[in-house]
Amino acid sequence: MTMRSTMTAVLERAALVNDELATEPYELPWAQEARFFVQAHELTGTLELTTEISPDGLTWCPADVPQVRVETPGMTSWLVTGFGQWLRVRCRVSGDETPAARLRIYLVGKS
Amino acid sequence: MGPTAPVIDAGLSKYDPLGRILCFDRFDSTTHGWTELIGNYNGRGDLSTVDEHMRDFRPPQLSSCSFFDVGTHGTLSGNYALKLATRARRGHTATGIRRLTMAGRGLVRIEAYFAFKAEATVGRELPASVAWDGNRHPSEAQFGAFTVATDICADNGVRYHNVIRYQNTNLAGEMTQQWMYPVVPEPTPRDHQEGKFALPYAADFTAPDPDDWRYFDKPLELCVNEVPTKINWHYLRWDIDTRTRSNVELRLNDRVMDMRDVPVPVYPDRYSTLDNLLNFYFSVRTHADIRNFLFLDSVLISVDW
Repeated sequence: MTMRSTMTAVLERAALVNDELATEPYELPWAQEARFFVQAHELTGTLELTTEISPDGLTWCPADVPQVRVETPGMTSWLVTGFGQWLRVRCRVSGDETPAARLRIYLVGKS
Repeated sequence: MGPTAPVIDAGLSKYDPLGRILCFDRFDSTTHGWTELIGNYNGRGDLSTVDEHMRDFRPPQLSSCSFFDVGTHGTLSGNYALKLATRARRGHTATGIRRLTMAGRGLVRIEAYFAFKAEATVGRELPASVAWDGNRHPSEAQFGAFTVATDICADNGVRYHNVIRYQNTNLAGEMTQQWMYPVVPEPTPRDHQEGKFALPYAADFTAPDPDDWRYFDKPLELCVNEVPTKINWHYLRWDIDTRTRSNVELRLNDRVMDMRDVPVPVYPDRYSTLDNLLNFYFSVRTHADIRNFLFLDSVLISVDW
């Protein structure tokens, strides 16, 4: 049996989001599955996390994954499979007069 | 007739290693120890203490080199290349670093097959100093520079970097296509702690002042092949000598450059915790608001000790 490969990328370390942020395109063509970890160090308002996929790293659409809503600081995570090649997450913060989120975002791929 | 290729390993036969191979990295499994560089941080793990210009060098990716027009391109050796990708921001740098130590002193050779590209622009166009004429393409002038360098420290904390950079365009976006080296050592987090500098985001971390760089050898045109979605793999072979802390020779395809007169700046002060440090990094820097990519098909590091 071949040992599976895994790889963790830190897509953002302390990104400040006042409106919307889409992470940089990240290629995982070798991975069967991937998991986002989004750690909200600070959060004012509601954070909506939409997984997006792309065939070329240029044009994006939502993945077949439910949107994740976060109301309090802390770590949240979700699994993505069958995504093709490129992944990113769109982070949108709203719902307060001065919405803001400070985010660390990991993406873990596994063959 | 050239040398007979050993049929047992088509991967290795395209290389020319010294006597002892330290690593031979093909990227069909993992990143093989090539990881993102980040600046140093305090004892609380507070990443806000990382130098602003060293906090966002981006994680390497394993890429099948796929593009909007042709789909998967693939690599020289297999399915995946190690891809370094900048942000679409002028001056931004992406890095991949590999961390070894030295069990001896002498010749060190790093070889690689690589390709470089600016991201394709689709449905929009960015300013460029080159116009499309059916052969040349604006994309060729939208790639900034790539760098190969070491970080070496030994013999009671003497630290230095051998550095080569292929500057495709200058910061104004004009084609230069020349090899460069810095005449100063890279600013370190300790230099920052000691108040010697404070560099902004997207500063050139290898040597931030453009006046601290010098050209060597003649201009060299590489095979960018017309559009941003055609990849041709180039062979690079670079020799340094850790006994004399010097450069020796750089080869890029059929161009061989004597580097023995290209200086290697040594830090004036000494460093701890780095005994026998032998790091290598590749980096790519964009000179315009467009992502730049450096693709590594494979890398081989060998020594004569």
